[in-house]
Amino acid sequence: MKKVFAFILGLFFMPALAKAENPAIEFVDNLADKVINTILVADVSRDEKLSRFRKEFTEALDLKNIGQFVLGIYWRKATLEEKDAFLNAFMDFTTKTWADRFDMYQGQKIVFTGVRNAERNQFYVDSTIQNNPPVEVIWRLKQKDNTYRIIDIIIEGVSMAMSYRNEYSAYLQNHGGSVQALADELKQKSDNFKWSDQKE
Amino acid sequence: MNKTIVGLLSFFFLIGCAVRPTDPDELRIYEQNNDPMEPMNRSVFAFNQAAHKHVLSPTIKGYRAVVPDAIRTGIDNFLTNLKQPVYLVNALLQWDWKAAGQITGRFATNTFVGFFGVFDTATDAGIPAPKRDFGQTLAVWGVKNSGPYIVLPLLGPSTVRDTIGLGVDAFADPVDWVLYSQNPWLSYGRTGANGFVKYENMHDLMENMEKNSTDYYATMRSMYQQNRQKEVSDLRGETTEVQAEYDFDFPDDEE
Repeated sequence: MKKVFAFILGLFFMPALAKAENPAIEFVDNLADKVINTILVADVSRDEKLSRFRKEFTEALDLKNIGQFVLGIYWRKATLEEKDAFLNAFMDFTTKTWADRFDMYQGQKIVFTGVRNAERNQFYVDSTIQNNPPVEVIWRLKQKDNTYRIIDIIIEGVSMAMSYRNEYSAYLQNHGGSVQALADELKQKSDNFKWSDQKE
Repeated sequence: MNKTIVGLLSFFFLIGCAVRPTDPDELRIYEQNNDPMEPMNRSVFAFNQAAHKHVLSPTIKGYRAVVPDAIRTGIDNFLTNLKQPVYLVNALLQWDWKAAGQITGRFATNTFVGFFGVFDTATDAGIPAPKRDFGQTLAVWGVKNSGPYIVLPLLGPSTVRDTIGLGVDAFADPVDWVLYSQNPWLSYGRTGANGFVKYENMHDLMENMEKNSTDYYATMRSMYQQNRQKEVSDLRGETTEVQAEYDFDFPDDEE
């Protein structure tokens, strides 16, 4: 009986659900447009690009949740101060890292190929960057209060969140599990940040 | 592979095994990393990094400074075209007729229209460029377990399965048979050139990873494993959803 009820309910809500699939794509599409047009191809200084990127990046990504995920088992063991120090350094450094990576953008188009629902209000938005060869990018989103936040970007099967998590686990294992040491290391890297083609 | 290298590798293997952690959380990470030879791998990785810094990177920067962009692309295209026969062999072994057709079309187009492969006419014509190696073939055949992670001297990240694949590909490459029968040095020269061009393509990405990582070794390992896993899953017809299905659940308001 429960199943039948769910089925009937499903019929009623199907159009709504079908529609609800679009906003996730729309979210990523708008974001990509905005980042490309107001940052990547905009004729402004790199410092200005970085500050614009920081704004979009911190709004679009759920960096707090990502930060928590990437610390893995060490999150629970860290003190409040360590967590704060880590999150700040992590946000700052990943912003710079990705601003630098996106800066290599050469006008490639991004095509959205679909969206898949996942559990717990999560969505995967599938896209292809029309590069040679093409690059498959999956955006993992979480919906909360009618807005979306990105919780992971999966490029050719490589999950960024997973990669950070594996990297930090290795670092922490070799540094006695000290989240403070990791935070200091990230802060130092962030302070010494240089754009890729400005070396020496 | 010659005897000295095999001997050295087995020696490093004996001294290079990691200790299994006892803490259950750390054990989970240890098993997920699939890297029981980590100490040895890290030594080889350090060697590769030294080679990168002192030899390979300066050579590549020199190559880029001296050889114009268009010629570098031509060299890359030419060498890539010569890899198509061994890709074709693997596509056939994987029963992948579609890829086999694309590879054949690509090879014919680039060889005859693209001036012996110097121009990538096939890509301009919209022919996809599947790359098929024997490591994948083994996976398609049912060798699901890649075996432990291995860092190869100069060649970089691999697994036991992919290392075997690399060996078989080197041995089974039809172009190599032809070159070798003419003059062994043609075959060695081509192998070296292939490695160099592949390295040149990876160079900037590697520098970027190194610059942005707190543990470059672990970053490379993670990315290699994930990317290879996806490649193999795609060929085996498994969905990408499965791979992305790691636990991403945390309480929303935990401070």
